[in-house]
Amino acid sequence: MNTHMTRRKLFHILSAAGLGPAFASRVVADESGKGSKGKEQTLGSMLQSTSVENRPRHPAFIRDGKVIQPERPLPVFQETDVLVVGGGAAGWAAAVSAARAGAKTMIVERYGCFGGLWTGGIVLVVISTHTMENGQMTQVVRGIGGELLDRHAKFDNAIVNRGEAKFNPTTDPEATMFIMDEMIQEAKVKTIFHCWATDVIMDGGAVRGVVFDSKAGRQAILAKVVVDTTGDGDIFAAAGAEHEQRLHAMGLVHRLGNVDRADLAALKKAGYKTLGAIEPQPSVRWVNLRGPTANGLDINELTRLQFEHRRAIWERVQKMSKTPGGEQLFLLQTAPQIGVRTTRLLAGTHQLTYKESREPRKFPDTVAVGGAQNGKHAGWPIPYGVLLPKKLDGLLTAGRSISMDDKLVEDGRLIGACLTTGHAAGAAAAVAAKDGCRPRDVSIPKVQKLLREQGAYLG
Amino acid sequence: MTTGANGRGNRLRATGRWLALAASVALVLPWWMIPVPLASFSPLVAACSALATWTVGFIVLLGVPVLVLVLLSPKWFCRYACPVGLLLELQGKLRPKTPLRWLRWPFICRWLALLTLGGACAGYPLFVWLDPLAIFNGFFSAWRTPLTVTSVCAGLALPVALLVDLLLPKVWCARICPLGGLQELLVLAGRRARQLLRHEHPDHNHPARLGRRIFLVTCIGAAAGALTRSVRGQMPPLRPPGALDETRFTGVCIRCGSCTRVCPTRILRPDMGEHGLARLLAPVVKFTEGYCRENCNRCGQACPSGAITRLSLAEKRLRVIGPAAVDLDLCLLANGQECTTCIRACPYEAIVMEETAGGLSAKPVVDLKKCTGCGACELSCPTTPRPAIFVLPKPGVLKPS
Repeated sequence: MNTHMTRRKLFHILSAAGLGPAFASRVVADESGKGSKGKEQTLGSMLQSTSVENRPRHPAFIRDGKVIQPERPLPVFQETDVLVVGGGAAGWAAAVSAARAGAKTMIVERYGCFGGLWTGGIVLVVISTHTMENGQMTQVVRGIGGELLDRHAKFDNAIVNRGEAKFNPTTDPEATMFIMDEMIQEAKVKTIFHCWATDVIMDGGAVRGVVFDSKAGRQAILAKVVVDTTGDGDIFAAAGAEHEQRLHAMGLVHRLGNVDRADLAALKKAGYKTLGAIEPQPSVRWVNLRGPTANGLDINELTRLQFEHRRAIWERVQKMSKTPGGEQLFLLQTAPQIGVRTTRLLAGTHQLTYKESREPRKFPDTVAVGGAQNGKHAGWPIPYGVLLPKKLDGLLTAGRSISMDDKLVEDGRLIGACLTTGHAAGAAAAVAAKDGCRPRDVSIPKVQKLLREQGAYLG
Repeated sequence: MTTGANGRGNRLRATGRWLALAASVALVLPWWMIPVPLASFSPLVAACSALATWTVGFIVLLGVPVLVLVLLSPKWFCRYACPVGLLLELQGKLRPKTPLRWLRWPFICRWLALLTLGGACAGYPLFVWLDPLAIFNGFFSAWRTPLTVTSVCAGLALPVALLVDLLLPKVWCARICPLGGLQELLVLAGRRARQLLRHEHPDHNHPARLGRRIFLVTCIGAAAGALTRSVRGQMPPLRPPGALDETRFTGVCIRCGSCTRVCPTRILRPDMGEHGLARLLAPVVKFTEGYCRENCNRCGQACPSGAITRLSLAEKRLRVIGPAAVDLDLCLLANGQECTTCIRACPYEAIVMEETAGGLSAKPVVDLKKCTGCGACELSCPTTPRPAIFVLPKPGVLKPS
């Protein structure tokens, strides 16, 4: 009796939402298979959990034709030693490094996974993990990033192009996300996904934390050191640090399925030189898209290109699947994240130049070594100064927003460099938090010692 | 002449020779990389250069003082300046005296000199590479290039001369050296001229037949030179910036290795006959270790024969080794990968990214108005086994911008 009543009640609600038929079949199937009691309770609690929120409301209002956000206190979500904003390759490495060094660490990520453009953007190739000098290959992405790549090897079909005399390892995004989750949880980093840091908390000339938005409203996190690995430098820009802004090609990666069933020779004849870059799954290829030069901070541009690229990709794959040899191909996915290559670059205490990188110039405060783009030159030492704002305190950056000149952006924005600069920023932030000093006063030998202990390569 | 004066003269001569040797060694020490055209001081090299290029420039004029001295004082160069001669003589002092079995040999050196000059008229001085200053320079230059069969061969002439001299004492200077032969010819010519001035009959050594023989051998040299010029492989190699056009370059180059010695990035290497016999040991450009620097014109400064034109830095920057070309099948960027290596490596910003497929992909495009073929792109290109961007052997000159 009771069962009937609940199901009816459920149908009422679901049909109101237009989802009735879909759920109905599942509920019926589940009921016939097992006892109905457990399921019923789950469904019941699912509905009951939509409790009315009881948080203070401070809606914006219009005064004199202007939208005003009222002054209001923000709940402090957490206080921490090191706060990493952005869970891309750089932020992830920074968080793992800082937590392993013993600092209380927290990471905020706007999507639901780690890896940023690597996994969410389906840019699956890890360029610049090695250098080549006098015929000698040297791995420069070691430490946290190196461990991440090594762990892929434990799984089948998780990584290709790794090992002896091979450049540009390519990973399976699901494997990468899984291993990143595993490592960050092992390091006991407090993670919050689906949260977007929107502002900074300032204390004089220093950043004391960030304000973030989420489904749970606007809240604050207080930290001794903030690491800006948003890629776009959102945090240092909000804090007023000196920076430059660049335009770059903006694309959208997609993946083709059933590549192993396509007739590559026939497609080549039809003008498709390559179906895309290889990835660990033999039936799948990821396809890069360069795209036009655009401003990655302009939401209209981002939206326009998202539309345009998705249409172009759809049409391309449609055309391919109608080409002899390509009938079996299908569009597996377009990347969840649009491919923003460069936006803001910090004006650091040292701006690393392309020229310095090719000499390559040595620095006493080297905290990372960059690899060769696609593998044919010497490593380039990366000094601590590229992570450190000229004046702003309490903050370090890492990843594609480090202080570098236009030509070096092409190296500095790559995943390999993001992993190593992220590792360096995390280690430096942990040392600064532990010693209670500003990142600018941190003991470089201590940071270098910690990095070496964590397996990093400093030349 | 008293013995005292003679002794003083000998001492003076010995001092001069030692100084010449010391100066020559100092100038061509491989690690100093002094761009000096040492071999230009040889009148043979100067004469061949003038005949083969039909130009009289700085390097040809360098040979004139020695030529004058040689005309005034028979075999002056051999007696006072030749560093190879002194080395051979020193070796001779270490070795027990043996009879000179070759004294009845003909004067091959004279005929070599004539063949070479004849060849020079046809654009290919056949044996100018036997010039003592050229082989002396070549020996030291070889140390600059990595140790290979080629580099050993390029520096082998001087050791061979020493070996020949060990087996047959003094034969190199007296019977083989074409510069010695040239000086002997000048001595003969001077004697004949004096005889003519005094209206004397030519002695039995210099009948009219000799003149005919000289003419004949010179003609043979010219024919052989022309023939050698025409025998070469299909594809010409890359030449240093400012090199003469390919047909004249191989002939005028005396294979002294001066350019390979002074090249700071070691992109100049002796050719090991990959491009035909006529091109043997002439310098070719290889971008395996470096590229042609924008602030360097040393090879042209060091070239003693005029095979590489002496250019100012500004002029040299306009000289095109060859245009860079892209193989789009190999190019990473053109195949949808993140690579801008060549674009960034180009010191002249001559490579630009061009959008393809309606902006979805891109490819590198070489601006031929700016490209000097310096090879920075080829050097940087990461594709294997061969670079996707490479310099083609089509030399030219850019318009100044």
